[in-house]
Parts: sequence; structure tokens; C-alpha cells
Amino acid sequence: MSRSKLQPTSARRTPLRLSPMLAACALLIAAVPADGAAQGSLGALGFGYPVNGMSTRSAGTAGAFGDIDPLSPINPASIGGTRSTVLSAQAEPEHRTLTFGNVREKTSSQRIPLLSMIFPARGGVAVGVSARGFLDRSYTTTTTGSAIIDGNTLPTSERLSMRGAIGDIRTAIGWQIGNRARVGLGGHIFTGENTAVRERTFADTLQFGSTLDSSRVTYFGTALSLGGEVRLFKGLSAAGSYRSGNSFEARIRDTTRASGSVPARLGGVLRYDGIPGSTFAAGFEQVKWSDMQGMASSRTTASDAFNYYGGAEVAGPRMRGVPVLIRAGYARNELPFSTSASRITETRLSGGVGLPIARESASIDFSIQRANRALAGSTTKESAWLLGVGIQIRP
Amino acid sequence: MRAPLLVLSMLTASVVAAACTENLDGGAACPSLCPEQSEQFRDTTFEAVVLDSSLGGYPALGIASNLLLANRPDTLVTRTIMRFDVLTSSYFANGTGALDSITTVDSVYLKLPLDTTGRRGTSPVTLEAYDVDTTASDTVPAVLRSLFRPDRLIGSITVTPSATGDTLRVPLSKTALQAKIAARSRLRVGLRLTGNAGQLRLRAFTFGISASTLEYDAATDTTYRPIVVTAQTTLPGAPADVNQAYTTYTLTDVGSPLPGANTLVVGGYPAYRTYLRFNVPLRITDSSTIVRAELLLTQQRSRFGNANDTVAVYPLVPSATAEVTDLRRAIDLAAEGTLLSVDTTRFVPSDSGQKALNVLSLTRSWRAQPASVPRALALRIALEGAQPAELRFFSRTAAPALRPKLRITFLPKSEFVLP
Repeated sequence: MSRSKLQPTSARRTPLRLSPMLAACALLIAAVPADGAAQGSLGALGFGYPVNGMSTRSAGTAGAFGDIDPLSPINPASIGGTRSTVLSAQAEPEHRTLTFGNVREKTSSQRIPLLSMIFPARGGVAVGVSARGFLDRSYTTTTTGSAIIDGNTLPTSERLSMRGAIGDIRTAIGWQIGNRARVGLGGHIFTGENTAVRERTFADTLQFGSTLDSSRVTYFGTALSLGGEVRLFKGLSAAGSYRSGNSFEARIRDTTRASGSVPARLGGVLRYDGIPGSTFAAGFEQVKWSDMQGMASSRTTASDAFNYYGGAEVAGPRMRGVPVLIRAGYARNELPFSTSASRITETRLSGGVGLPIARESASIDFSIQRANRALAGSTTKESAWLLGVGIQIRP
Repeated sequence: MRAPLLVLSMLTASVVAAACTENLDGGAACPSLCPEQSEQFRDTTFEAVVLDSSLGGYPALGIASNLLLANRPDTLVTRTIMRFDVLTSSYFANGTGALDSITTVDSVYLKLPLDTTGRRGTSPVTLEAYDVDTTASDTVPAVLRSLFRPDRLIGSITVTPSATGDTLRVPLSKTALQAKIAARSRLRVGLRLTGNAGQLRLRAFTFGISASTLEYDAATDTTYRPIVVTAQTTLPGAPADVNQAYTTYTLTDVGSPLPGANTLVVGGYPAYRTYLRFNVPLRITDSSTIVRAELLLTQQRSRFGNANDTVAVYPLVPSATAEVTDLRRAIDLAAEGTLLSVDTTRFVPSDSGQKALNVLSLTRSWRAQPASVPRALALRIALEGAQPAELRFFSRTAAPALRPKLRITFLPKSEFVLP
């Protein structure tokens, strides 16, 4: 196995000069507001939907490449050996359909799940800085209800608007040791905020005024992650990573209202790239979301998640002398939060392509994922299309 | 070649990312999948009034846009004084172009614009006009009343109030006016109704100018346009508002009864206003959202004036700080309730029992008010000083069940953002 076998395809590029227009376009992508999915849905209960902030390349394999992809800030070892600077940004709109009895409700949201930069150093060492979505909690619900005042039941209408997310800002260092192993260490800051605005109106607007109340919480937590990747034998390597969470606090107006821990995570993947131009991976992930239970009320149950996935990337037809990469994957995930002890499971089928747009200096990736979610013991189901577009620039 | 392709690709990516319109509106699965719970509304009724008082003498002279001229001996009897301190004493004679002194007058009328909604009485009444000019103390009601005597009668007209139009022309004595003009004197007219019971509502001022006018011809020649004199007066050393006050005003012979103990009055004749100051816990005004607020007043039956007619009560919102301790001054400085969306409430004076005034907007505004501004409300009747009606309510010194109260429904502020 050559040394390059431990190098992710997307990291092997030659320099490119950034034109002003190119920079403007990159900014345009980054400027798309990062908001999230709708509540009253299976995917965004509790502290929100676990975005996971993987690269579009990993998304195209349903997350199977998460532990080996340098652009996915999960395994710090994966950036080891990167030989050129890489800038990456991506967008991932999601379109959901919730089926609740005879009711179907469609929502759509925008996300910027990942911005990352990798800077190579000497001796196989690389440093990466990234910001990724961790938990996305943006939704609006409009419901009708009633209030009992003076013994009379009065019809009301309530609109709850929740906006915000928790992000994972990571600084990592990776080191490629020879051509058989890589190790890495990352420091994480988990921070973000949720702002809730609730408006409640009465049908009798002459006698009763509406209520407009808001509440804002900020989050702050830290974690350390470490990972490694080792070549077992020709074409087959194993990678694993572990994130150890520290204190995770929810603060309202300078007061810590609840605290828990950043969820610990353990992941592992087997990678086979013995066939030239192709990479296959299968792995698992365990996230101890119950570490966040202390931050939630009794209305929310945080459960540990066991996720499994497999995916492949193969070289397709060549475009401008560089092969187009075709990806596919499957994953079975457990969502972390629920309103009861019942779990919400998610299956994902994914596909994607990676297109060279400036030979080896830049590439653009597209992914499409079909997610199906179900609440155990319930007929409530949710399906979603997640469209991903990401660009990598190697100046 | 590669740069344009790169840019095109990136633009495509940008458009794809940005083109999706976000739609986060949901809720069909609530409450099953909406774990956030609303706080329950709380309802409280309590004696929030810490200071209440009724202040009489409204409206201030010269402020009211209408005056009531009434002869209802069992209820209300009033007189009206109009001062024409400056009489036109010269005119341009026809064809001469020269200014001549007026030596004779013709067609002398007192023109009284009426508010026809205030007329009452189906039997003929006589409106009498007296010369009430005197060298005695001319602002003392008793002095003025003494001048309403036959030898000073300078005009009269008999009308049926319910049949009057929007203007009344009262013929006055040409001789009397001629003498006044010749003497470079002033004309002060006192009006009263006699005969059957009835009332007329006169328009007092229009844009600060007396609405009633004195009209007369400068000669018997009918081709002359009448001279129109507006009521005005000047008191020695008095400021403009005092002069305005005594231009056209009313004397009350028989008015509404005094408020009495444990009673708050809104309206009446002369009219009263009621001031109420509240003490509401900050946990309600500042830390909650008030969704309903009503001032509960226990009404007493009134027999004064038009007791069975519906009358409106306008709110006033005192905005002066506590340094203004004079309640009359505080009311004078109050803002109209409509500016704070505090609505008008209608009552029937002869009614009784607990009544509710919607003060939601007022209580909601307290959060934004400085702490130095007392939380207060003042009430005044519509057509204040121009309609014989009053509302009587029990004050805070009455029996507990009858005292003013606030009924507030509120939603305590909660930190509902955590799931």
C-alpha cells in the first residue's frame, strides 16, 4: 500500500489562485442563513436535530466516511498527512414531510452544516479548524387551544417560534506516522443559543390582549476528541475516534439553569480501498446523548444512540482528465431526543457525486439523502430529502 | 478556461443552496410532538386602588366647547353669560367712502349656534336675554343673578326646544344696543330659559373663538351687510386663558348633588372627574403579560338629569410624576386614554351594580412607565359640562364588597426555551 492510500482523495490537490469572483461566490454560499428543521416533527425534538456536520462527501455515503474524511470534523486523525491547504463550505437544505394520522405537513429548512479549513505542516502534521452544526433547533408551530379563565373556556391560538442551534467549533491536529498510521487530537467548544418567541392570542380580541413572550438560552460546553487510523493490511484499514465530553451548561441571563455533559462519542470504521479508485467503508457510532439529560426537563428524554452505516465511493467517468466520484450509502440511526421513552429511529439512503471543477484545485460535491423516521409504538412517520452541496478549494 | 467553469459551478451551488425558501411552520402533530408547555393563565381580583377622589368644577371655564342652557327646576337650571366688550361703533357709509359713526342700528340679533343633539323639551320655552353689565363685581354669580330682572330684559324668543334648528337668532333691543354704542360701552348678555321645562345646548367655542355672535345693521338701509361681533372680554391684568374663560360661561342655579361619603362621581353639573391611583404588584405588571384587565366599579343609582340615557365615560391617563401632588393638576396633565388605546365605556346613570371598564392597555403600559409616575386613571364623562348626567360609584372607603377592584388575568413570564 502506498503512502497515498491513507490520504483521502479530496485532500490531494495542487494549488489554485483564488479570483475575486471565486471568493465572492464562496462568501455567498457561506452567507446563506443557517436555520433548522421544524418542531412538531420527529427530527427536531428536545435540543434539536443532530446535524452531525459531516462533509457532503460523507453525507453522500450516509455518514460512513465520517471517521476517515478529513473534511468531516469527527476523527482528528483523519486530517493527518494532508499536504495542501483545504477550504470547504457547504449547504444542506432539508425538506420534510410529517405524516400524523391523516395529516401531512411539509416543512423545509436551510442549513450550513460545515465550514472547515485544513492547513498542512511539516512531517505529516496538519492542523484543522472547523465549525459544524451539532444540534439544530429551529421550528415554528401554530396550534389552537383554549384557556380557562373565570371558569370559561376561551379559544386561543398559539404560535411558537424557536430559532437557534448548538455548534461544534473544533481545532484539531493530525499526524500521519509513516504510511501505516495516523493519530489526532481535537479540542471542541460547543456553543450556541436558542431563542423562543411565543405569541398567544384570544379569539376575543376586544377583551383579551395577546401575549408575546420570549426566552433565550445560551449553551457552552467543551470536549476533547482523539482518534487514530491504522492500516491493517493491504487495502484495509481501521479508524476510530472517541470524544470525551466535559461540562455542558445551559445559561439564561447569566445564570446556569441546567447542566449536563457534552455527549461522549465512540465511533469506528473499517475502510477498504484495495480496488483502485474505490473506497468502501462500514462503521458504527455510539453517542451518549443521555449525558445531556440533566439539561432537559422531564418532558424530554435523551437516550443514547447507536448508529450504523456503510458506504462506497467509486471512480466514475473522467471529466477534464479527473475522475468523477460516485457515492452511495446506507445508515440506520437513532435520534437522541423524544417526548417519551419510545425511540425515534431513522434510516438513510444516500447518493452523491464529486466533480472536479478545476482539476485538482477545486471540487464540488453533491449529495442527496432520503431519511425515513419513525417513532416506536406510533403511526407518526416522517420522511425527508436532504440535499447537500459542498465545495472544496485547495489554493 | 477552468476559472469560468469553476465560477459557474460555484454560482450553481450558491443558487441551489439559496433557492430553497425556508418554511418552518408546523404544528399539526402538536401537542404530541411539542413538549413545550404553556404556563397557565392566572386570574386575580383585588383592591388595587390606594387613592381615589372626585374633583368638581369641570370643565374649566373657557374650555368647554358646549354650554348647557337649561330650565329643569327639579334637576338643572343654568344661565349663560356672554360678553361683548368691544362693539363696532363705526361703518363705511354707502357712496361716501368715509368712516361714519354708528348712530342707529337695526336688525339686532344674538346668533346662537346649537348642538341639536342636546335639545330637550317638547313644550315652548322662552329664552330671555338680559343686560348684565355692571360696575359691581362682575364675576360673582350672585351679582350676576341679581341682574336678571325685568328692567334689564333686552330681548326674548319663544321656541320649542325639540323643534329648533342648528341656530337660534334671538332679537335684541335696538335701543339698548344703540345706547351702548353711543356710550362706547360694552354689552354683556345673560341668557336663561323660562316657562316650561327645556334645555338647549349651545356651541360655546369654535377653535378658541366664541361661537355666539352679535349681529346688527349699522343703518336702517337694508343694503348693508350686518356687522358681526364676536364675544370677547378683557379682565384687567388677567392672562389670556382667564379672558377666554369669562367670554362665554355658565352659572348654575340648580345642579347635581354633591358626591357624598363613599362615593365617586363622574359627570354631573358642574361636572366631576374621578381620579384613581393603583398599586399593582410588579410581579404582575413587570414580570407577567397581562391579557385582561378590568376596573370593577360598583355603580350607585343616580336620579340626576337624564338618568336613563346612555352616557360615555372617557378615560384619562395621568402621566405626571409623583412630584405633582395636586390631583387637579395631575388630571389637567393627563393624556387622553385613546392615545393609549384605553377605550370609552358606556353606562346608564340609573343603573346599579358592578360594572367593568376595560383597562387592559393601561395596565400594559405601566411596565414602560417610569417608577416615578403613579399608576393611575382618571375618568370624565362625555359632553362634560354640556349634559345633565352623572355616574356614581362606591369609593375605596365603602364596604369591602362595594369597593373598586382590579380584575387582572395574566400570564407569568417563564423561561420556556429549555426543552
